[in-house]
Amino acid sequence: MGFRKRGMSHFLKRLKAEPVEVILFLCASSSIIFLFLMLLFIAKEGAQAFLTFGINFIIGSVWETNLDLYGAFPLIYGSLMVVAGAVVIAVPLGVVTAIFIAEVLPFSFRDLIKSLIELLASVPSIIYGFVGLLFIAPQVARLFGISSGTVALTASIVLAIMSIPTIVGVSGEVIAAVPRDFKDAALALGATKWQTIKSVVIPTAKSGILASIMLGFGRAIGETVAVLMVAGNVALIPTPPWNYLSPVYPLTATIAMQMGEAAVGSLEYSALFGLGMILFIVTFIVNTLADAIVKRESKFRSGVK
Amino acid sequence: MSKVREKVLFAFLGIPTAICLGVFFWLASVLLSGFGTIKWNLLTASVLNGGYLEMIVGSAYLLLGAAGIASPVGVLAAIYLVEYAPRGRLTRVIDQAINNLAGVPSIVIGLFGYTFFCRQLGLGISLAAGWFTLSLMMIPIVIRGTEEAVRMVPNAFKEAALALGASKWRTVRSITAPSAAPGIITSILLGIARVAGETAAILFTSCVLVTRGLPKSPFEPVMALAFNLFVKIVALGESPDKVFGIAFILFLMVISLAAAATAFRIYYRRRQPWLK
Amino acid sequence: MVKVDIRQLNVWLKGNHVLKDITLTTKENAVTAIMGPSGCGKTTLLRAINRMNEIIAGCRTTGELYINGRNIYDGETNVYELRRSVGMVFQKPNPLPKSIFENVAFGVKIHKMANGESLASIVERSLKEVALWEEVKERLNDSAFSLSGGQQQRLCIARALAVNPEIILLDEPCSALDPIATAKIEALMRKLAEKYTVIIVTHNVQQAARVSDYVAFLYLGELVEYGPTKHVFENPQSKLTERYLTGEFG
Repeated sequence: MGFRKRGMSHFLKRLKAEPVEVILFLCASSSIIFLFLMLLFIAKEGAQAFLTFGINFIIGSVWETNLDLYGAFPLIYGSLMVVAGAVVIAVPLGVVTAIFIAEVLPFSFRDLIKSLIELLASVPSIIYGFVGLLFIAPQVARLFGISSGTVALTASIVLAIMSIPTIVGVSGEVIAAVPRDFKDAALALGATKWQTIKSVVIPTAKSGILASIMLGFGRAIGETVAVLMVAGNVALIPTPPWNYLSPVYPLTATIAMQMGEAAVGSLEYSALFGLGMILFIVTFIVNTLADAIVKRESKFRSGVK
Repeated sequence: MSKVREKVLFAFLGIPTAICLGVFFWLASVLLSGFGTIKWNLLTASVLNGGYLEMIVGSAYLLLGAAGIASPVGVLAAIYLVEYAPRGRLTRVIDQAINNLAGVPSIVIGLFGYTFFCRQLGLGISLAAGWFTLSLMMIPIVIRGTEEAVRMVPNAFKEAALALGASKWRTVRSITAPSAAPGIITSILLGIARVAGETAAILFTSCVLVTRGLPKSPFEPVMALAFNLFVKIVALGESPDKVFGIAFILFLMVISLAAAATAFRIYYRRRQPWLK
Repeated sequence: MVKVDIRQLNVWLKGNHVLKDITLTTKENAVTAIMGPSGCGKTTLLRAINRMNEIIAGCRTTGELYINGRNIYDGETNVYELRRSVGMVFQKPNPLPKSIFENVAFGVKIHKMANGESLASIVERSLKEVALWEEVKERLNDSAFSLSGGQQQRLCIARALAVNPEIILLDEPCSALDPIATAKIEALMRKLAEKYTVIIVTHNVQQAARVSDYVAFLYLGELVEYGPTKHVFENPQSKLTERYLTGEFG
């Protein structure tokens, strides 16, 4: 408490000295203000759905607009299924790529390849969805002999392609931040390059890599347009539940597809905001955890232990 | 012998990188194959005559307006965080909030934009509502980029000014901000590139499928490339090859913005010797 | 006995000619100090002995460098085995982000030299050699960063000793330490010379005088003078060396 008081009085003193600081401070606080407004307004619009269905809004297994019945479980399941598939594909590819770029690739190529992968991160999701629909879905259909290629697997593949740049970017930074000293120590003892990577670089960067995976996961679960275009959009849990060749209806896709038709103030409208609320909370938690990991790590690095 | 084994191992480690690059070139080649099919005169023809003009200009309006809001807010916020913010709980909370805002899914931003800007503030489905909604996605990008640029300005520069009796704000305006300007501009360009193809956030807030001419005020709806592409494929079920032109223009626009940002950064890092 | 025999060694880093025609031999079980003003190439010369320059992009080396009569630049030398037998200690203590025990055991594990109890006894022996055992034996599993700077540097020396090297290279090992920690490391260097060949880089003239048997003076990438420490200090052959020793520049 004393700490906070000192912080406040310090702030007020500075405020008097330089009034421009008020404006700067307000700009900096805009993120908090908008996060708070977001929580407030989405909760307000979504309240009706939670009040009507109670816990069944989350665990109910029927999502049927015609019956005005909204149980989001199949949608949550769909989201998790698509994201899990994407993680399985993207994490090994992304992490190994980051290690390869930072530790193995000759210096002169590093920046070029890093920029290309960064460029890949800025391609809009609708373009990924478009390409997925046009090229990947037909291949999946042909390969597995199914009539339509817009299934969970296709969505996972598209999502994996989109998440890789995030994972490569963030874990690349973490790996590059492993101090030269550590690597020199290992190399001077006669460790091979691979031994150095395995026993010094990876253990040191481990939690940062984990954070990058979580950030990628957070992005992926909130991804809307690309997933929507290739997931098939059927609000049922696949049978069997691990069948990646059946269509699913992720949370985000449901919101985007149904918002246009939902009448303002209707139960459906409220249910869609309820889905938004679930997404907001899940991504908030994932991002906060990822941040905490990064912060703890940097503290350890600076020797505080 | 162990050297040979290591070479083989590293070659295997290179496969995922090759796959990533392969995907990039494949994507580029797929979209650039549309280069020949584009009828260039359509770029400046009205949508009513089968062109793209309103979509392109509408997208540009959206981006410029959003950048107009996000740039000052983001830059000032970053200057506060680096130069002014006391170390304490409040600053930590602000810092965390920026990360969390950056992590909010764009569809949720869209929902919020609709209920807050369109309905609560009464902007309706309009260009202005789109500006505010998109600026929420740009602000964290601009803040983080600007913070980095401001941190890179050597302390010696600032101390030189302060030692001459300049006030803190004076130092920021005449020393820190100009030295960090290239980095700040890069981060704004990156912010624009990042939201240029954004669809989910403008889906319910600012776009319609067709407008008669360009919007005459910020309170009218607009057309946008990403929105049109989305609605044509998903809602109207048009075959993908029919909308290839839009996808191609959008891809080209985003990639050139992102490439411009990167090129700008590299150019200025070379010109400012104090940046390594 | 000649231990390291350097002949016409030239090194370029990113196009700069950093070492020019260095020819020099060092004796077994002696401390050889390489001194000179900063930027004279002394660290590069040290790193040429265990081929650590190679990990820097844009490095080119010509000439010959014999250890125990074998040219390590002959293209057939196993560089990992070379670095095991030529230990290195850096300017800033650089323990790995592992426990004290794991730091010392690291090289032993990398080279699969021992495990289990024999590994533990190697760790103990190495820590005793640097007079750190008594200070840390109760907390071998603590992070190496919990040690003081001087202790960290001795830990790094123990880590190098654990893999049975013949030569120890020290790159300004005391520049980040306080006077008491420095004195301990200097005493340790004298003791190490009984068993190993020690080569130390320093920009501190007094330190060179205190610890070394032979001293080499480098200036702008060239070897100006080399000989027994006593001779060089009492009767420098070159005017440049004399000016450096009297503190006129450096």
